[in-house]
Amino acid sequence: MQNAIQELGWFLLAPTLTILFFFGVLPFFYVVYVSFHSWNPFAVDPNMVFNGADNFRKIVFDPAFLNSVSVTVLFVLFAVISELIVGYLLAQAFMRDFPGKAIFRTIHTLPLIMAPIIVGSVWKLMTTPSIGIIPHYLDEWFGITMNIGTSAPAAFATIVIMDIWHWTPLVTLTLIAALVSLPPDPFEQAQIDGANKRQIFWHITLPMIAPAVVATVFIRLMDALRTVDEVWMLTGGGPGSATRFVGVHIFKEVFPKTNYGYGSTISVIVLYLTIVVCWLLYVTMLAPRSKKD
Amino acid sequence: MANVTIDNVIKRYGSVQVMHGVSVDIEDGEFVVLVGPSGCGKSTLLRMLAGLEEISDGTISIGDRVVNDVPPKERDIAMVFQSYALYPHKTVYDNIGFPLKMAKRPKAEIDEQVTKAAGILDLTKYLKRYPKELSGGQRQRVAMGRAIVRDPQVFLFDEPLSNLDAKLRVTMRIEIKELHQRLGTTIVYVTHDQIEAMTMADKIVVMRDGKVEQIGSPLDLYDNPNNTFVASFIGSPSMNFVHGKIATEAGQKIFLSDSGMKLPLPPTEAQEGRAVTYGVRPEHIQIGDSGVPMEVVVVEPTGSETQIFAKSGKDVIDALVKERISARPQSTLGFVINPDDVHLFDRASEQRI
Repeated sequence: MQNAIQELGWFLLAPTLTILFFFGVLPFFYVVYVSFHSWNPFAVDPNMVFNGADNFRKIVFDPAFLNSVSVTVLFVLFAVISELIVGYLLAQAFMRDFPGKAIFRTIHTLPLIMAPIIVGSVWKLMTTPSIGIIPHYLDEWFGITMNIGTSAPAAFATIVIMDIWHWTPLVTLTLIAALVSLPPDPFEQAQIDGANKRQIFWHITLPMIAPAVVATVFIRLMDALRTVDEVWMLTGGGPGSATRFVGVHIFKEVFPKTNYGYGSTISVIVLYLTIVVCWLLYVTMLAPRSKKD
Repeated sequence: MANVTIDNVIKRYGSVQVMHGVSVDIEDGEFVVLVGPSGCGKSTLLRMLAGLEEISDGTISIGDRVVNDVPPKERDIAMVFQSYALYPHKTVYDNIGFPLKMAKRPKAEIDEQVTKAAGILDLTKYLKRYPKELSGGQRQRVAMGRAIVRDPQVFLFDEPLSNLDAKLRVTMRIEIKELHQRLGTTIVYVTHDQIEAMTMADKIVVMRDGKVEQIGSPLDLYDNPNNTFVASFIGSPSMNFVHGKIATEAGQKIFLSDSGMKLPLPPTEAQEGRAVTYGVRPEHIQIGDSGVPMEVVVVEPTGSETQIFAKSGKDVIDALVKERISARPQSTLGFVINPDDVHLFDRASEQRI
């Protein structure tokens, strides 16, 4: 009986596992395999040549790669922290009643269902000098000239704001779910115990929603680290390499330059860095909690 | 330490009025129990006292200060919730010390107070644990510890024992009463359990449907209930009620039930023919040959006492006696009722006559 159930279970899982194997596991190991080779199919020698750890050695001293890592880290820091703060404030707002709440909540969630490539094109349209609405009004109202094609800070800031616009609703939704599920008693108790609003936030609310916050940060962090399409549409990594995030960097290395071997190496390293960052985050924020629970 | 005055308090939720002018005077150091069935408004009243619910009308004062618009943190009260409301992410030590930490007291003082409270409540061993690692009774004590360190003017308890098992409930009941005797602080305690009310209170406030039915000492309520509601609520097992009217037999007033049972009456001014409800507590009925003959339905021996359910016509009466009686169902027993132990209520208004 037990065996029969297990067999049926594996049978039902088989299609998913097959797909996962061919489209997830296999390509992953293939990329790892390729990363130890020099391979440019459009070069004079189109063959895959094993070159040991050469690619990895090269990557450590590659200024273009190091630059892309630092811009990415900056972008992730700005974007994720802002999304957390704005998302929390919105979640708190949605916990209260105000006129037009339902409509506002719906509108606020809309960016989530848009494909990144669309978001990139829309923002491109909005920020292109002389036709975009944003540079137009910045100029008309404040006399500021904005050109994301020439100004690195403007391009970087626009991408951060675009990411906040696109992904804050996700943070809001998870934090609303976390806040709604909190028991009311400790908060009333804290009021009686003499805590003011700020103390209640730091001592009660934040620790109690910490698991949800950490989960959200994980999701946003991993997502933000591999942002490609929006940036590709909006700035193409420019001006110069100001918004050339690792994702864009890999894309440029692999597709226009057809440098498959080296591109794979960067991918592997970026995956490794992402895992390390997430693990550190987990250890510092969640592991001490699991002892308590 | 302070007296508390609740004066004509009204609570409305939108257009629905749930509390209709409640007034209670609580003296300094008194142990007052608010008791009543679910939905009678006792918890709402306590929450208004704590400042967690707004007061729609009337005033509540703690000491000489009207606290209607004073936020909870400035009322100088401590509260123990039914759920204990411990902070799950803090250790026992941090839970107990939380009010002091919020008040920005020096670390040495917090340490001293927490250690002292833990000593009183026998929690010293558990200070480093988290609430999840404690039993129900221990959590309950942590919640009390958190209240004690405040040294508040008034303690509020919202059904603090209802999540504990029966045995622990008795122990904690005694501990809370001892604590009150030691600290001498005013306590307002909400419960739906009349035994808790009877055993702990200096003064009981019986509530129903957002109104106060009666206020008095436990024995006062037991001996002189104002109406059938209080009479049935206080005392366990509950008082017997028989519907009928006043009649005369051989020149003496007697009670004649709707199904024809005759019961003795105390001296009363009630007129013959008046519709009344006859109340007598099970523990006031004796078994004897001179009593009213009743047909036995069920006998429940508990060792120390025997509870006998018997009927006459459609009227069922239960008696609680010390003796061990082994009567068979359908046999006949005589129920002896001392007229002095009888309570008479008007049948329509349910008020005491």
